[in-house]
Amino acid sequence: MKVFSADRLEKLLDTVLKPSRYTGGEMNAVVKPFDQAEVTFAFCFPDSYEVGMSHLGIKILYDIINRQPWALCERSFMPWPDMADAMRREELPLFSIESRTPLDRFDIVGFTLQYEMSYTNVLEMLDLAGIPLYSRDRQDGPIIMAGGPCAYNPEPLAPFVDVFQIGDGEEMMVEAIACVRKCKKAGLSRLDTLRALAGIEGIYVPAFYQVSYNDDGTLADFYPVDDAAPAIVRKRIVRDLDSAAYPEAFVVPYTEAIHDRIVLEIMRGCTKGCRFCQAGMLYRPVRERSLETLLAQAEKLENATGYEEMSLSSLSSGDYTHLTELVCALTERYADRKISVSLPSMRIDSFVKQSLEEAQKVRKSGLTLAPEAGTQRMRDVINKGVTEEDLIRAVTDAFESGWSTVKLYFMIGLPTETDEDLQGIGNLARDVINAYFTVPRSVRAKGLRVTCSASTFVPKPFTPFQWQGQDELPTIKEKQARLGDILHQVKGVNFNWHEPELSMLEACFARGDRRMADVLYAAWKNGCRMDGWTEFLNYEGWMKAFQDCNVDPAFYANRVRGEKELLPWDFIDAGVTKAFLWREWQKAQRAEVTPDCRKGCQGCGLKRFEGVCVDR
Amino acid sequence: MKMLVVFEKKERLRHVGHLDLMRAMQRALRRSGVPIAFSQGFNPHLLVTFAAPLSVGMPGLREVMEVPLSAEISEEEFKEKLRAALPPELPCVAVRAVEDRHPAPMAQLFAAAYRVTVQENAAEILAAIPSLLEKESVMAMKRTKSGDKLTDIRPMIYEMKKVDGQRFDCVLALCEAATCKVELLMDALTAESKLETRPRYLAVRTQLLGKDFTPLELL
Repeated sequence: MKVFSADRLEKLLDTVLKPSRYTGGEMNAVVKPFDQAEVTFAFCFPDSYEVGMSHLGIKILYDIINRQPWALCERSFMPWPDMADAMRREELPLFSIESRTPLDRFDIVGFTLQYEMSYTNVLEMLDLAGIPLYSRDRQDGPIIMAGGPCAYNPEPLAPFVDVFQIGDGEEMMVEAIACVRKCKKAGLSRLDTLRALAGIEGIYVPAFYQVSYNDDGTLADFYPVDDAAPAIVRKRIVRDLDSAAYPEAFVVPYTEAIHDRIVLEIMRGCTKGCRFCQAGMLYRPVRERSLETLLAQAEKLENATGYEEMSLSSLSSGDYTHLTELVCALTERYADRKISVSLPSMRIDSFVKQSLEEAQKVRKSGLTLAPEAGTQRMRDVINKGVTEEDLIRAVTDAFESGWSTVKLYFMIGLPTETDEDLQGIGNLARDVINAYFTVPRSVRAKGLRVTCSASTFVPKPFTPFQWQGQDELPTIKEKQARLGDILHQVKGVNFNWHEPELSMLEACFARGDRRMADVLYAAWKNGCRMDGWTEFLNYEGWMKAFQDCNVDPAFYANRVRGEKELLPWDFIDAGVTKAFLWREWQKAQRAEVTPDCRKGCQGCGLKRFEGVCVDR
Repeated sequence: MKMLVVFEKKERLRHVGHLDLMRAMQRALRRSGVPIAFSQGFNPHLLVTFAAPLSVGMPGLREVMEVPLSAEISEEEFKEKLRAALPPELPCVAVRAVEDRHPAPMAQLFAAAYRVTVQENAAEILAAIPSLLEKESVMAMKRTKSGDKLTDIRPMIYEMKKVDGQRFDCVLALCEAATCKVELLMDALTAESKLETRPRYLAVRTQLLGKDFTPLELL
């Protein structure tokens, strides 16, 4: 067993990159006496400190757990590879930031799964902590939990994780830790504790389910084998977001996080119905926070953090009912304190010129727009209800208000894509540049910068595209090269793209089943970790893992799935029904759009949850 | 009006770099609610200056920063507000209100006192102190922007004495004209004690000093 030693840690810290990632002591970090807590929770983010500290979910749940007087929550992040290697060499176990307690001393070790390419880091962190990777090998020690958007297809991690939390965590987390507290007090066995947890709505305990396969490799059956486990696991929904817990203080890191600012979650869920977008389906229904609540949260957070920047977070901030009032109120209140307010993930169809002008009163940041596709036909297929006219009007407004940096996000490899759609991306970029030059020289800001970013489409569970195959690697590379040529013709555009290999691996895990767990383990054994970082992606290690496990990546990434196929995540009720998703998939192939459901119910299935989806 | 602030950077934060520390202090000042002055210009920022950056890896017991104010505030109120806004690892030790024309701490800086804990080969290193002090010149390789330079650090060692079996105190030059880092002194002690490699040590900057070795915040 690895034994923690503060002295050995101090020695290591003098030798690694950015040691302040590991040392804590931040403003608003919660430090409770470890041994007095009845339930201890290590909140693990399977990526670097800088990435993890930017994440809103960890802030919310850290606050909620620590609000319980009997519970304690501390943070742990994936050590940078130099630190991970040094810790292994020195036999120093992975520890929590706050009290430097080794993870294996906690009652619960919980991971948030934000993206598939962090899965090797989950294994790496468990191993660094000296915790056996497979659930079946753990007779005692912490219960391993996981949640977050990727938990909606938990199967590739099923053998490693004891308990998945599916859906909004605010209420479910408190129930889960209260349950562990009760079981601990009653002296229940690990198995009985898992049984008790399986009784909580939204919780999935993979060990209680059996899987069988057909000869063609598709799923034949999936069923519970323990009385405590429900046949269908229903996602949790926080009904009233306005009264849901929200932190009054954020931990303020010393070393700069990727997003180092106040975040106000103005709204959860999105009704637009973009067919590629998993978040848009998973976080339904739309729930808004009131203006009063948000202004009060902003004030508390500013006083507690001293941040110089505030951002509004939601899937579609432009749709927030009181957006203009909110932005005006925030900029007015905080202008003299030199705090800037930024609006990310702005959808271009709801652009408000006024809010643009308000937003830049203090400081000006770049404008990011996501047309996603280059032609109207393609945008109709993906149900991105945005026209070229909307886009051009939005950027023209922005240029007239003195903005000169524009980022455009696109996807390639979408269903039914043709060369014309790639050409369309080039045309759109050209139109944006022309729009800049139509604004008089005296009005527009100098130094136009247009960046086109093209990611590769990854089909995700619980979206209408969950049946679609991803383009094969050579096709993606061809399309990237072609788009590069097209954009090269457009003067003044920067083009960047994502590693197609990474998108392919992401596709395998997004729609993988339990057999992908073997590949994951083998890849980790081959030294794969930090896969999301280009400099660490070890594609050969992954390909060898697929080979050694006799698993064909194309089966998961590129295969088109049929209407009747049992999908690995079908046992989860994520709100939207399979019938709705199939209907949307059929409409997509006919390039038929589905209007925003605020304008009329589209029957996605959320109405089945009593009182959560309200017609406006 | 300006406020001279004396603060401690505890050992846990010794790896926090100077830029990160400055940002942390600026945020602390913002949340404290004390009336702070902003720079004019496109990206307004707080006009806080530090007497001397701490090397990464080194804690400081009495570090000094200067905070220009936009309105009058009493020392007591300032101290109380800032204390509430600082994390436990970065406490405010003392404050002193001075006039705007009071010279900047950075300009008055002359030397700094350190306490060094030698974590390996302590006996050899400590035994080398008297003989090193007897020398008229002590040559050490100083790393500068224009390359390594052999420098006589003896004139920059103002004081050095053993505290106990593991620790010694020293006062070294720290100003624009001449600076001797603890690392250089440790190199010299390593050579003097005939050790092959510089042993592990932890140096804490205990006090920043101005002319006549007066604590900087009192000048």
